[in-house]
Amino acid sequence: MDQPVVLAEGLVKHFGAYRAVEGVSLSVAPGAVYGVLGPNGAGKTTTLRMLLGIIDPDLGSCRLLGSPRPRSVATRVGYLPEERGLYPGMTARESIAFMGALRGLPRPEGLVRADARLATLGLAHAAKQKVRRLSKGMSQMVQLVGALVHDPELIVLDEPFSGLDPVNQERLERMILAERDRGATIILSTHVMAHAQRLCDRVAIIAGGQRRFEGTVEDARAMLPLGVRYRPRESADAASLAALLPSDAQQRDGEWRFTLPDDGVEPLLAALVAGHHGVEGLSIERPGLHEAFVKIVGETHDERHAATMEQAA
Amino acid sequence: MNILRQAFVIARRDFISIVATPTFLLFLLAPLMMLGFAMVGGASAGQLVEAAGSQERIVAIVPQSERAAYAAVDARLRPISGGPAGPPQLILIPADADHRGALAAFRADADVLAILEGSAASPRILERKGEGFPGRYLASLAEAVAREGGSAASTQPVSRPAFETIAASGTGRAAQSGLGYAAVFAIFLLTLLLAGQTVGMLAEEKGNKVIEILAAAVPLESVYFGKLVGMLGVALLFVSFWGLLIGAGALVAINQLPQQAISALALEPAIGWPAFLGFGLVYFFMAFLLLGGVFLGVGALAGTVREIQMLSLPITFFQIGMFALSTAAANAPGTQVATIAQWLPWSSPFAMAALGATDASIWPHLFALGWQALWVGLTIWVGVRLFRAGVLRSGGSWWPWAKSAPPATPDPVY
Repeated sequence: MDQPVVLAEGLVKHFGAYRAVEGVSLSVAPGAVYGVLGPNGAGKTTTLRMLLGIIDPDLGSCRLLGSPRPRSVATRVGYLPEERGLYPGMTARESIAFMGALRGLPRPEGLVRADARLATLGLAHAAKQKVRRLSKGMSQMVQLVGALVHDPELIVLDEPFSGLDPVNQERLERMILAERDRGATIILSTHVMAHAQRLCDRVAIIAGGQRRFEGTVEDARAMLPLGVRYRPRESADAASLAALLPSDAQQRDGEWRFTLPDDGVEPLLAALVAGHHGVEGLSIERPGLHEAFVKIVGETHDERHAATMEQAA
Repeated sequence: MNILRQAFVIARRDFISIVATPTFLLFLLAPLMMLGFAMVGGASAGQLVEAAGSQERIVAIVPQSERAAYAAVDARLRPISGGPAGPPQLILIPADADHRGALAAFRADADVLAILEGSAASPRILERKGEGFPGRYLASLAEAVAREGGSAASTQPVSRPAFETIAASGTGRAAQSGLGYAAVFAIFLLTLLLAGQTVGMLAEEKGNKVIEILAAAVPLESVYFGKLVGMLGVALLFVSFWGLLIGAGALVAINQLPQQAISALALEPAIGWPAFLGFGLVYFFMAFLLLGGVFLGVGALAGTVREIQMLSLPITFFQIGMFALSTAAANAPGTQVATIAQWLPWSSPFAMAALGATDASIWPHLFALGWQALWVGLTIWVGVRLFRAGVLRSGGSWWPWAKSAPPATPDPVY
């Protein structure tokens, strides 16, 4: 098996009394798209900063591209921080070339690549515009191109979809997949599960500074039981219908959703037919990453709440 | 990629971002607006030269038997001679076997305006200017001493001095001190203009969030050094611009002035002009790197323009303090104050530049440059750690208070 591109063990980071990250371990295989998921303030950004050597962990170790000193391999890494930043007085192509130069790409080559990549994204017209004149979405795409211009082996994207319109989100997803096809390893953090579900081979869910889950998207989804979506006839009486359905059934948009009963859906179907409620639609579905995320993060919240109450008591 | 190459990338960006703006023209022409300030400095320099004028002396190398008589006559005639300022201080040297060496030294010292040697009856008087007051005063002393020793009733002069004019060899101590002051003032003006600007440089990166991109890509040492070098490039452009203008002006002036006037204006620092200018330039770089490094470090901790403005006042006081110490050193070379100013890292470049005007030794400059370079490195090292601890909230525990502030990250929201 190939050596992991990122191997972090027991990362701990406290800011004064605040515990930002507590013992997070990650292992990212070469060529993977790896999602670091979590709610706001979960410790995702702090974890990524520690992986990149921007800040030092209080405890734990980290190897990046085989090196125990992440900064020594900075030229092989591309990074899009959560807080976007460009010099307003520079043009788009100069900004990209500058970011490439910081990572060792000669400036003339950086300018050539900047022009080419902006043209690919349909942003050729913006190449010579000052950053201050670009829209937020365009600035973000410029910064993303800047993070990728030197063809890094490892790409770390912190909340890359935030602030992008659907068209640019789609464009960004294609860029990420293209980079993966090129052979790069990608780590992205997000709290929008739809992107993670489409892009990621593996995910780590971090909540309260701790890693709560690590595995494939399918592994995460498999943590939840199958769900049922049932749409009765319009004439069905809701009160009598609810009496027949499992206790966790919830109605939304004329549709009932509940966990698949242990004895399957057939007895329920028979009862519905017998009760003259009819079946306009019925499907059995595996819950998405979103539901798995909510469950995992919700449990963390409950645990923390209980701990807080215990302390208060 | 090495640290210097990365620093160059940052320096280049900073240099262009500063120079390629219309406001740079205002900055370039700022010295015109500071002309008034310079005139105040010129007045101070004038006072300095005036004060140093008291270092001018006259010397009498006389037989031991006449020494007391010269002292007594000088005490009698001094209050009624030479106007309010009086004659220059009289140095009495006994004419013995070794006095030739002393005579040679006094001849070479431009602050010695006239020298008398030989007996009171037939003295030889060497003077800088023919028929100047110092020479005449020495002649009147010899006449009085000769009269006291001989026939007081004679109406004819009893002393027959032989006058010789000696060329001024080298620049006087007072003029050299003035040169030292000018060097301190010039370096101070330039650092005042440039080093203060570095305070806000990292605030720009923090404001537009570029700092994280820089911090992720290159060592903070490169960021720091790159910013200082970028600003130094601006400084070089500035110095070159004004250097060329002043140099061209001086050339024109030299061509217009008569040769005699040029000779009278010719000043020579003790260390010689090439070394004085060369060291002066290097000391300017050092002063800029030292003060700029401190300001960059302090400014890195400021998060807003308001905080930077608050920091400007103590920073200006600090600069003026270093300037005051260095001018005191230029005014009093060889004193304890001068030694302190030469050793204190942030005043050392100024004080050492002034020393070059009055002291011909080279080795103190080489030592001082090494000492200052060490402090430049130390300043950047401390500044980087201060920045990491205070802004990125990372790094060692040697600066514990910097990590005690609450994090920028909000509490988790579920």
